[in-house]
Amino acid sequence: MTFTREGRELRALRGVDLAITPGEIVGLVGESGSGKTVLGLSTLGLLPKTAQIEGTVTVDGVEVNGADEATRRRLRRRSLGAVFQDPMTSLDPTMRIGRQVHEVAGSTAAVLHLLDAVGIPDAQRRLRDFPHELSGGLRQRVMLAIALAARPRLVIADEPTTALDVTVQAQVLTLFRQMRDEFGCAILLVTHDLGVASTVADRICVLYGGLISEIGAVRPVLDHPAHPYTAALMASRIGLDADRHSQLPIIAGEPVHPSSDIRGCNFAPRCPAATALCREQRPALAAVSQHDGLAACHFEAGQEVARRLSAVAGPWGTTTTASNEGGVSVRQLSVHFPGRRGLRRSKPFDALSEVDLSVAAGEAVALVGESGSGKTTLLRAIAGLQEPTSGSVTLGGRGRRPQMVFQDAGSSFTPWLTVGQHLEERVPHLPTAMRRERVSQALERLGLPAEVARVRAQQLSGGQRQRAALARAVIEPPDLLLCDEPISALDASLAATVLNLLGRLRRELGFAMVFVTHDLAAARLVADRIIVMTRGRIVEVGASDTVIGQPSNPYTQSLLASVPEVATCR
Amino acid sequence: MPVRGVVSLGSGTEAVTRRGQASRIRDIGALERVGLVVLLLLLSTSLVAPWFVVDPVIPVAPPFQAPSLQHVLGTDDVGQDVFSRVIFGLRTSWLSAAAVIASAIVIGGAIGLVAGARGGWVDALLMRLTDTFLALPGPVLAIAVAATLGASLRNTVIGIAVVWWPWYARLVRGEVRALAARPHVDAARLSGVSAPRLVLRHLLPGALPPVIVTASLDIQILVLTLAGLSFIGLGAPPPAPELGAMAARGADYLFASPWIPLAPGCAVFILAVAANLAGDGVRDLFDRS
Repeated sequence: MTFTREGRELRALRGVDLAITPGEIVGLVGESGSGKTVLGLSTLGLLPKTAQIEGTVTVDGVEVNGADEATRRRLRRRSLGAVFQDPMTSLDPTMRIGRQVHEVAGSTAAVLHLLDAVGIPDAQRRLRDFPHELSGGLRQRVMLAIALAARPRLVIADEPTTALDVTVQAQVLTLFRQMRDEFGCAILLVTHDLGVASTVADRICVLYGGLISEIGAVRPVLDHPAHPYTAALMASRIGLDADRHSQLPIIAGEPVHPSSDIRGCNFAPRCPAATALCREQRPALAAVSQHDGLAACHFEAGQEVARRLSAVAGPWGTTTTASNEGGVSVRQLSVHFPGRRGLRRSKPFDALSEVDLSVAAGEAVALVGESGSGKTTLLRAIAGLQEPTSGSVTLGGRGRRPQMVFQDAGSSFTPWLTVGQHLEERVPHLPTAMRRERVSQALERLGLPAEVARVRAQQLSGGQRQRAALARAVIEPPDLLLCDEPISALDASLAATVLNLLGRLRRELGFAMVFVTHDLAAARLVADRIIVMTRGRIVEVGASDTVIGQPSNPYTQSLLASVPEVATCR
Repeated sequence: MPVRGVVSLGSGTEAVTRRGQASRIRDIGALERVGLVVLLLLLSTSLVAPWFVVDPVIPVAPPFQAPSLQHVLGTDDVGQDVFSRVIFGLRTSWLSAAAVIASAIVIGGAIGLVAGARGGWVDALLMRLTDTFLALPGPVLAIAVAATLGASLRNTVIGIAVVWWPWYARLVRGEVRALAARPHVDAARLSGVSAPRLVLRHLLPGALPPVIVTASLDIQILVLTLAGLSFIGLGAPPPAPELGAMAARGADYLFASPWIPLAPGCAVFILAVAANLAGDGVRDLFDRS
């Protein structure tokens, strides 16, 4: 199977050549906007009609690009399978899952076999379930069963585990390998997570700005990256063994914009080792000395860049000495949501059951748990956005309103107001000129130009939005900052940037912080203490390194075991 | 794939992207654009008309004159100028429709906003009240109002307005409730924004686009409804120029002097079609996803 794409008009891809051999798992890795999803969709022949495609995409001997719709449909039915990020939107909510698999599989026996194969327990009974009656992991398994039903030659999996909890993610990833062994299909795994790619894939393909930066067998590429971008991705990965006492190495600058016209190497503007040659001439994808794969770099500067990045990432700056009165104490807090099934009332759902928690002034605490553990409910209760059923939340110091950073920074801005208007709302007591001044100061503190105040949040890039959201939180330094999964939707380099910013702000301004995350490595890095929650209860509390190093609770241990790790790069 | 431009800011390493907003007018189809143009033409004509056409209520020429250069659409059974009456009729139609919509937006919008933003028992109470009004049949209520207060344009408009606002109340309430569940409202609350400011600044503007779309599509329905009520005698008594009444009164002369009933009939038709197309155009403008 060969894919050749020469995108020029549509600059999501700028000329990518990629061949996948039967039975192979290729991990396609890149930050958001790198063109990885477009590559996946073009293989399926599912790009919108407005997209102009140059080059060829050949699947199983058939040219997808340029084929008529009937040919494409036949190809999709016979040779291709697809698994998308959100199985809830990909499955038909009005159809029982048995029928949905049956549509492709053809017989009930085949359906049962497939559901069995993808690890759905008690498949016979599940046939009559609707998608909403299944958990996220089971839904993704059903998607995979549908994708595999026609015995495809190639399965495209676009961020298949991003929406899943870590423990479920680990199971689904193992499943991908099993399915490859059992069905012999090739898999193109599109992901922004190096850890995910490295656990499952045979080969890894790193995409940057619509071009392949580096491609080759997973281990050698990640251990000895030849391309600076791969090296930088590895360096800014948040591992369980990262150094807590210094900032994370990060790649400065913004990703390549799809509409920009680049002459030289597309990574040159952000590359610490870039030379005049890099800016003038685009490097070809060529064999490198580090490993058997290919990389597009004039100097094979991966190692060099990794060294420079870690050298630049210095220790944290000065810590404020200002005595801060923040903190919060939570006593016997319970939140129940009234249950309802159809017209009958059922048992209320206990989101939180008698939780006790205290955060000292200036302390950083991470709340870790999977979806449904109650960690977000607890955070919202502390913020005063969720009325507790019983128990109390007492804010320390002057009892000032805590600030919050949301998972999706874009959605925390009112779409029709500018960033500046949002920031000014936090300091309404000041005269107009002073307000403007404070807004510029806050933006500057987060490394944003003052012009950002005049635009709306959706006009900013993802990274800029996160910074703007942080600027809004600290324009008037809070006593307590609440963070709700602020990095879970970000790729490695952006996540590292946000963690660095949070670490720096906390040390400069001295606020206490509650950081909700499902990512143990990030929790360890930002927090002094980690609190592990499940089913609305706290199961383990301890100093960060103790919880990660010697977890005492079996649940914490299972969480830790599920984290997809990449061998460290030197 | 939307085309975006890059604007470099400040230090040069940061870039702000802007979505092309100037191209929005291009999203309207050709037919819809014609509708918008015709509607605007009709509106502007009817607004400036009083200074250019002859008085519509006094006889200016012998009755039953066929269209001529002097009287473009001829004269009717009492010698009034039909063209002048049609222009004034359009003006009345359009203004009454606008009055109903304006009242619906103000009353329905306020009720919907309060219900959606407050929720709880306030929401339940206001929405049950809205449902009650929703159950009243519009034209029948208009007939009842006219029967008690006497037939007049004002009473007809009141009758229709009474049953029109609930739709807007439900629309605004639904939009506001959906918006209120979004993170930006929580974020604003944590910023310390006061309740009225939260509603007016962070919720209301988001509910406006669907209201504008509905209002622009409602113009056509109202023009037809009002013309229909006027046709059966629920409008201004003669000799006031009103399209429905003119068509009804002129129906007797359909074969002898067809311009008398056809001119107002066609005017209603053109206004309704133009308003409908324009409404579609406005919807296309806002419903871009």
